[in-house]
Amino acid sequence: MATRTKDVQTDTEDLVTARESRAPAKQPLTLPADEPVVYPLQLPQSKTRLQTPAVGQRATRPDGRLHGLGQTQYIDDLTFPHMIHAKVLRSEHAHARIISVDTSVAAAMPGVLATLIGKEIPRNSFGPTLQDQPVLADDVVRHRGDGVAAVAAITEQLAADALEKIKVVYEPLQPVFDPLEALEDDAPRIHGGDTNIYASKVIKKGDVEKAFAEADHIFERRFQTQMVEHVPLEPHASIASWDGNGRVSIWSSLGRITLGREDLARTLELPQSKIRLIGTIVGGNFGGKNEITTEPILAMLSRKTGRPVKSVYTRGDEFISSTIRHPFTMDYKTGVMNDGTIVARKIRIILDGGAYCSWTGTTIGKGSILAPGPYNIDNIHVEAYAVYTNKTTTGAMRGFGAPQVCFAYESQMDDIAHKLGMDPLEIRLKNAFSEGSSSPTSQTLQAVAIKESLNQAAQLFGWKEWQA
Amino acid sequence: MIKRGRGMACMWYPIGFTVAANPSAATVKVNTDGTATVLTGTVETGQGALTVLGQVAAEALGVATDDVHVVSADTDTTPMDTGAIASRTTYVTGNAVMLAAEKAREILFQAAATLLEVPSDQLEARDRKIQVLGFPSRSVDIGTVAQHSETVLGAPSIGSASYNPPTVPLDPETGQGKPFNTYVYATQIAEVEVDDETGEVEVKRIVAVHDCGTPINPMLVEGQIEGGISMGVGFALKEEILFKDGAQINPNLTNYIMPTSLDMPEIDVELVDNYDPTGPFGAKGAGEPTAVPTAAAIMNAIHDAVGVRMTSLPATSERVLGAIQELRAAS
Repeated sequence: MATRTKDVQTDTEDLVTARESRAPAKQPLTLPADEPVVYPLQLPQSKTRLQTPAVGQRATRPDGRLHGLGQTQYIDDLTFPHMIHAKVLRSEHAHARIISVDTSVAAAMPGVLATLIGKEIPRNSFGPTLQDQPVLADDVVRHRGDGVAAVAAITEQLAADALEKIKVVYEPLQPVFDPLEALEDDAPRIHGGDTNIYASKVIKKGDVEKAFAEADHIFERRFQTQMVEHVPLEPHASIASWDGNGRVSIWSSLGRITLGREDLARTLELPQSKIRLIGTIVGGNFGGKNEITTEPILAMLSRKTGRPVKSVYTRGDEFISSTIRHPFTMDYKTGVMNDGTIVARKIRIILDGGAYCSWTGTTIGKGSILAPGPYNIDNIHVEAYAVYTNKTTTGAMRGFGAPQVCFAYESQMDDIAHKLGMDPLEIRLKNAFSEGSSSPTSQTLQAVAIKESLNQAAQLFGWKEWQA
Repeated sequence: MIKRGRGMACMWYPIGFTVAANPSAATVKVNTDGTATVLTGTVETGQGALTVLGQVAAEALGVATDDVHVVSADTDTTPMDTGAIASRTTYVTGNAVMLAAEKAREILFQAAATLLEVPSDQLEARDRKIQVLGFPSRSVDIGTVAQHSETVLGAPSIGSASYNPPTVPLDPETGQGKPFNTYVYATQIAEVEVDDETGEVEVKRIVAVHDCGTPINPMLVEGQIEGGISMGVGFALKEEILFKDGAQINPNLTNYIMPTSLDMPEIDVELVDNYDPTGPFGAKGAGEPTAVPTAAAIMNAIHDAVGVRMTSLPATSERVLGAIQELRAAS
């Protein structure tokens, strides 16, 4: 089943040939004397780790000492015998049809052991809600971060060099970058169909129009947020090793291994029992590492070569091809009485949904439910739409839409306080949830602590005494 | 001229997935010396989740944090877990670990009941001992009990359990239902200095008061809050991916500007005293919400300082100055 393009024994030969073809021979490196690192036999004992009861202790982390000593093994630190390195070629266009991908010149380069294109992946689609994203694009590229081919070579540099020898012929398609333009009738349909809207959410409670008619004041404003990246210190990284029994082991920086294994079983068309997924210590996630990325590619390249295959994203890969935070365009209309009581809130949100769905389903859900804010409002109407654009894939990021809507609802709370001449603290306390309040979805809330947090923060800050 | 301002923002945030099942399972194994091993399928992503899960198991078994070793993140050996996402680890995985530890503890209680000659429901696990409720002097060391249970009675102390937060699907027409089992709450207050000639904003201080239910490890919650604020400051003032013809033009740390430690304000953190009966020992969670109100608080402080309402993030110097100039032109 596994086909090797080169024999494992030629490893050193490949390396020598490749190096000689690239650069003149250098003097061997002189290493400093190998000084063993000595750790004290008596480990410092942290009282917080030894005391009972355990809950509530400021217990130190067992991994903290290993981080400090440099003993934590991130994927970049892991290596295996005969391990090779993979790189992915990214699209030259934001929106284009792929006419052909020719990897023959790259494959013939010394040191290159295998190449891979999308058509070779058993089931070339994935995604936590909609499986609308290819592992490697094989038909259409929908943003500049789409991978179109991969190379495995004996060094990372050789793999990067080989990418430049891959010839991809594209037929450019009309792109759309602005989510509001993507909503227009004549906008190109990024995934076909008759609309670029791929997720929507409605929350309705009471009668907003009636309440607006009775309100003393109406506040209306549009708020907008930008695309941001998680920027974890450790970029996405993985190693795949396909063994002689047809079982593949994958070390990955993924933050969700159970569901990650399901995604791998699906894309590789393997039983879950044939896949071992190991989540290594992750150097920062913030929501960005909840999707498979290169894992199926590495598995296929390992199967082709019989070697462990490693990939570590560059910072550029991390920005361009991993997911980022959804920009929101939010129209807020709020009805308020003279005494500061909020009686109605109508909100329309357009999410720039990027090229693929990813975790948009969760983002639009949480964003919509949280959008009215932690306030008792009897009349609520929220509607939200996620729209495909030919930009970076938007996915999970710390807060799933909550930082965006909080910026809007809390900015408007201050607008209201300012207009009515109320203290920002007082207007919040007046409207905030308390124990047993009904949420925008009519859920009875328990263990509510919003007023406590407001009062305690005001106290800690010195809100009442503060002078500019 | 430098103008000072203050602004507050509060927020609410749910724990776990929106309606969708997001279970976690866990296994707790007590060794014959009373130390224990936890198996969990979640991943340590730098937040200290494994330390917290170890503390939860230790609490249920009546031992110390250092007595518990946590094994994680290997699909060959650890039970299923929905993963390090949606601020769910302390609450969902924590509940699974607590329930698994209680099952292992029940096996110890059965063994201790024979040693102490009381019914097993009259026992508690505390301070590394199994003791009679109300009579702490009648006790046996937990290691002795574990050894007796496994090697004399033939009942190793192992427990497995799972937890999934109960939810009610949302009505597709009205969105009414129970999407989450619990929520956390927080307030942050920012103090800023705005240079009204350059539009430059400096965040001087942020006060953050968060609810996470019982803080299983207050130090780790504080760490989350400080980290969340740094992300919030970047979201508020600096970070933005810029495009030209669909291509990112700043995909590097030279041109995509993030706050460094030098840009961080003074941060004062306090936790609200709260207890959620549905969480492990009253705990909820602390991951994502820490980054939620920061930008809003900073925008309100900018408004307080110079009277401009920033409606578009990030509030770069150019944008703030533009808004100040617009305000001056209008007045």
